[in-house]
Amino acid sequence: MDGIHDMGGMHGFGPVPCDQDRAFDYDWQKRAFALTEALAWSVPFCADEHRAAIERIAPADYLRLDYFEKWAVAATALVQAAGLVDPQEVASGRKRFDIVQADHPAVDPADVLAATKAGAEMTFPASTAAPRFAVGQPVRVQANSPAGHTRVPRYVRNHLGLVVADSGVFQFADTMATGQGPSPQHCYTVEFRASDLWGNVADANGSVCLDLWEDYLEPA
Amino acid sequence: MPHDHDPLEEGPALRVRALEELMVAKGLVKSETLDSIVEYYERETGPRNGAAVVARAWTDPDYKDWLLRDGSAAINAMGFSGFQGEHIRVVENTETVHNVIVCTLCSCYPWPVLGLPPTWYKSPAYRSRVVREPRAVLAEFGVSLPDEMQIKVWDSTAEIRYLVLPRRPEGTEGLSAAELADLVTRNGMIGTALI
Repeated sequence: MDGIHDMGGMHGFGPVPCDQDRAFDYDWQKRAFALTEALAWSVPFCADEHRAAIERIAPADYLRLDYFEKWAVAATALVQAAGLVDPQEVASGRKRFDIVQADHPAVDPADVLAATKAGAEMTFPASTAAPRFAVGQPVRVQANSPAGHTRVPRYVRNHLGLVVADSGVFQFADTMATGQGPSPQHCYTVEFRASDLWGNVADANGSVCLDLWEDYLEPA
Repeated sequence: MPHDHDPLEEGPALRVRALEELMVAKGLVKSETLDSIVEYYERETGPRNGAAVVARAWTDPDYKDWLLRDGSAAINAMGFSGFQGEHIRVVENTETVHNVIVCTLCSCYPWPVLGLPPTWYKSPAYRSRVVREPRAVLAEFGVSLPDEMQIKVWDSTAEIRYLVLPRRPEGTEGLSAAELADLVTRNGMIGTALI
């Protein structure tokens, strides 16, 4: 999605707020974070769906809202999309209807901690899918500009890079974000010369490396 | 929003409290679970974990080889694992290469070893600029590198999370791993500081 979230290379945002050094400044930010993590279980939704919901926030709101407020807005949108709350409930904060509790059990502290420490399973180690690209091979990022969630930033679209690693077979964010399943495929680290990305204003010998799924790439 | 009396606080604080109450009333979350999640990230994740990994790599060549070859396994072996740390690649700063980490699309960051990211890491200014003008961004952090130093920026666009292995400071030969870990900063492991 060509949204405001795709910020790599944009001008105009001023100096980095280097002194804004904490993860949380307010307690409500902690609650918004934890609320999202817990709702991901009961609704349920995955990280890619949550990222996509953040990306659907209107650009002006995206820039105005606090980071964790965006988390809460996106989580609310996902709960609503699942039919578990209605807009009146969100507006009033008061429950109007019961949900089928057994289908959406609230997670207990012990379970959430165990799963948090274990991490998510996002790879397919047993996959025998042959890689389409090899380390050392030049590749081009496709020019596609989908309206939905994707993990190709605009600044590498249609650019040439070099495969520097094949990280194995991963679930694919673009399809995970829409509930279409994992579409397992190889994910590669691709290195782009800064001068190929930014032309005559680039750092002379700099480079940028990105992790890109096979479906994003074509032979150069 | 770093100010203690920011007027914007009231809106989101109310919104999030109302949302939590509604979600509890709906039976979708339990407040004690939220408490546990916050406590977990504050107590059990954070840059001291990453610092222990770095200090061990500085003092144990075999561990360093393993860490650079298979970051996830070497980090898991020290007891650090979990969400946003399932696949970690450690990139080494050398005499010729300096590494910097970003997520231009959102805020991807290696939670088990660095904790949750600081506000600046999530800021539009950092996300937009560090891929385009890393030297200017590093200068704002007080870091100046020789012109011949190659700067590699790692944009965390898929499921791999990155940790920078900083260069071990000179004159630290006599220090233990625990003493070395005290020298390692979070920004050093993002690449926006030198150690």
